[in-house]
Formats: sequence, C-alpha cells, structure tokens
Amino acid sequence: MESRKPPPSALVDNHVVPGDVVLDLAEMTNQTIKLGAGLRQDCDTIQATSAGRLRLSKPSKYWVESSQKRYIPSVEDTVLGVVVDTKPDNFLVDIKGPNLAFLPVLAFEGGTRRNIPKFEIGTLIYARVVKANSIMNPELSCMDATGKAAEFGQLKDGYMFDTSTGLSRMLLSSPTCPILEALGKKLSFEIAVGLNGRVWVNAPSPSNVIVVSNAIIKSESLSGIGQRSMVESLLERLS
Amino acid sequence: MEESRADGRNPNQLRPFSCTRNPLDRAHGSARWAQGDTIVLAAVYGPKPGTRKGENPEKASIEVVWKPMTGQIGKQEKEYEMTLKRTLQSICLLTVHPNTTTSVILQVVGNDGSLLPCAINACCAALVFAGIPLKHLAVAIGCGVLEDGEVILDTNKAEEQQLKSFAHLVFPNSRKSASSKEPNQKEEDSERGLITSITHGVMSEEDYFSCIERGLAASSRISDFMRTTLQKQAPGDV
Repeated sequence: MESRKPPPSALVDNHVVPGDVVLDLAEMTNQTIKLGAGLRQDCDTIQATSAGRLRLSKPSKYWVESSQKRYIPSVEDTVLGVVVDTKPDNFLVDIKGPNLAFLPVLAFEGGTRRNIPKFEIGTLIYARVVKANSIMNPELSCMDATGKAAEFGQLKDGYMFDTSTGLSRMLLSSPTCPILEALGKKLSFEIAVGLNGRVWVNAPSPSNVIVVSNAIIKSESLSGIGQRSMVESLLERLS
Repeated sequence: MEESRADGRNPNQLRPFSCTRNPLDRAHGSARWAQGDTIVLAAVYGPKPGTRKGENPEKASIEVVWKPMTGQIGKQEKEYEMTLKRTLQSICLLTVHPNTTTSVILQVVGNDGSLLPCAINACCAALVFAGIPLKHLAVAIGCGVLEDGEVILDTNKAEEQQLKSFAHLVFPNSRKSASSKEPNQKEEDSERGLITSITHGVMSEEDYFSCIERGLAASSRISDFMRTTLQKQAPGDV
C-alpha cells in the first residue's frame, strides 16, 4: 500500500519563536522527518529553538531560517577564517564560532610534510568545514571533496568585513542576489562570502573596494528593488 | 466602578512598552526594552569557549552582570543577578553548546518601578537576537497588592510606595501550534506554569493566586508584543 505523503506543517513560511510547536508526531504515522537547524524534538512534538522563518524542503526536511552574529559551525559550510596561531600539526583559525577551528597542515591540495604552507598570524583563509560537533573543535580543510584546491586557500589583499549570517546566506543564494548582480554590471571586483558572516572584497582600485563593501553592508535592510536603486545612486556618485 | 490610577491607567493596564533590536554593534545580541519610563539595555556575548570554576563543563553556563543606573553593585543587584541567572538557565537549552559561557550584561537606563520584570523581558529578547537556543520564551510581569486588597499590574515607582505587597512573576510565553486539535484555552493556560516568583511583603493566599491569574492574562499581551518584535526582520528576508 502506498503511504500517503505527509501533510506539511501549517506553519511553513511563517515566523516562529522558541517554544512554538511545529509538528505533532502523535498525529503522524510511519513517516520520516528530517530536522535542520533551529528545531528540536520534545517527546511527541517538534519545537522551534530559535526565532525565524520555518522552511520546508520537500518532502519532509524542516529548518528555521534565522540570522545572527554568532556562527555555529556546520559540516560542508564554506567559511572565512583568520589564522590566530600556528602549531606543528594545525593552524588555529577563528571562524567566529564558540571555539577556534583546526586547519591541519596537510589539508591543502598536494600537501605533504615537505611543503607545509607558511601562514602568519592574521592570514585570511577561505576554507570548508569538514568536522563540526558541539563537544569538539571544528576542523577545516582547504580542499573540496575530490581533493582539489578549487576556490579555497589564502586570500591576499582586499578588504574583509563582518556581516550577519543571514546576509551571507542571501549573498550566496541562487539566483544571484540583486546587489551583486547590479554591482557586477558596472564594476569589476572579486568577492568571497563565508557563511560565518564574513565577506572579502578585492578590486583594482581602493575606491571600488569601498563602494562594493558599503553597498553590501547597506543592502541587508533593503528589498531587491531597493538594493538595485541604491546601487544605481551609488554608481552615479562614483562617475 | 473602577478607579483609575494616578497616571490614568486602570488596574489591569500595562504601561506602553517598546523593544529595539540589536542597538549595540559589538554584542552578539542586544535589546533595549522599555516599559513606560523603566528602561533596560541587555547585551548578550557568546557562546564563548570554556566554563568558569564551579560550573558544569558538560553544559553551557550563563553569567549575568547587572549594572545599576547609579552607585555601586550591592546586595540588591546580586540578588537580581542570581534571579536572572536561574530564570535564564531554565529557558535555555544548555546541552547544545557544552563547555561554553554566555554572558548577559544588563544596564539599567531608567528605573520607574517593576525593574526586574523589565530586565527579564529585555534578557529574553536579547538571547533570541543572539541566536541562543531556547526551549521557550519567558515574559515577566510585576503585580502589586494595595492596602484594600486590590491587585494592580505593572506598578510604577510612585505606586510601589503605596503597596502592601508585590509579586514579580515570570511565565512561559504563549505558543503557536501546528496541531490540528484546538486546545482548550483554560487547559492551555494551566499547562504553561510559572517559571519564577519573587514576592515582598505580606500577602494572603487569595491575593497571591489573584496576582497569578491577572499576571497570566497580562503576560499574553507581552507575549504577543514580543512575538511581533521578533518577526520584524529585514525586508530583504527571502
């Protein structure tokens, strides 16, 4: 007998606050639910633990989309980290989480004991989270799953600023978010966005770096149309 | 005929309140909560690595610092800190980030009565803005009992001089549910329970239960306001 598709929660795409009951398991039979960030199971109910918008990825994966300054590491996130110490086996990297992250010296493409990269304290690194749980320090890697460096590694020059995690997620969303699309039409720049709320921008001239950075910082409180018009007014002043 | 209070409110009426989201840039979460002229600014830092001596490293610990408007920290401030710490410990999920410390710093900006309930509301809002995982929210209300036995809510400083006794009560917020069965409202209210209760003065059992009943009804209004505040996101929110 074909099992019926589970009806989605009535609260999907609504704002929830901690304590809201998102699902009642007593009413469901023989179904699989996947829980993401911001939810927990309390006996027969699934409750929110953070405030934000409840999302559903079909058929039955739920999470709460929220935005804050503190980053909680999650596997396969790409993050921007700052090297704060070097040890024989690991670099200690600050990724704005509760604990410093470990970046093994061999976690680079073609990394061996003979060619360990030399990073000074303060180096900015674009890396991928490969291990993350609450009782250990997270671990980073500068290779993708196939062992290639891809876009990971050290970021030189440019300017790095802090944002909220929600803005970072918006910048990385697809299709391309309006702010980056509008800026890309007029200016040439290089950008790296970490899901931990850090953004790195590089451009041929310092004034372009400043324009791009300020535009991104201001865009958090604007809608898509507001972002485009803000960029247009900024660029008019530039030329 | 209900007699109005000195500032024109009826006994059940709360002063107007407001809440500002993240007024402080360096804090991981902050809230400025005002109830009338009582204003408290709460800042949350953390979770930060490590726990202090005497804390359980298998759980997150919470540190509360209370800054009065004037003067030095005294016994009253220490009592406020302890009350706040125990209240926040009961609503936070402490097992999500073990061996970390979350600092909550409160600055009293204005004090016109019902200071502790205002501080608790500010703390809860700041914890949510900081993204700390919570079991539920908490809403706090101050109730006063006059000499003639009448119960008034959200007392201000002038009224507190006339009180025979008062109670500060903290309730869980009302929750939205996706359950199809419609819960009975009275049953739901009784399920919510009481998180914290602080009383001063002599109060009869009848007066105390009257305070709880009136406080619970008023907490729904604060609950709705807090929910509305938390829903104000950036319009760019996809």
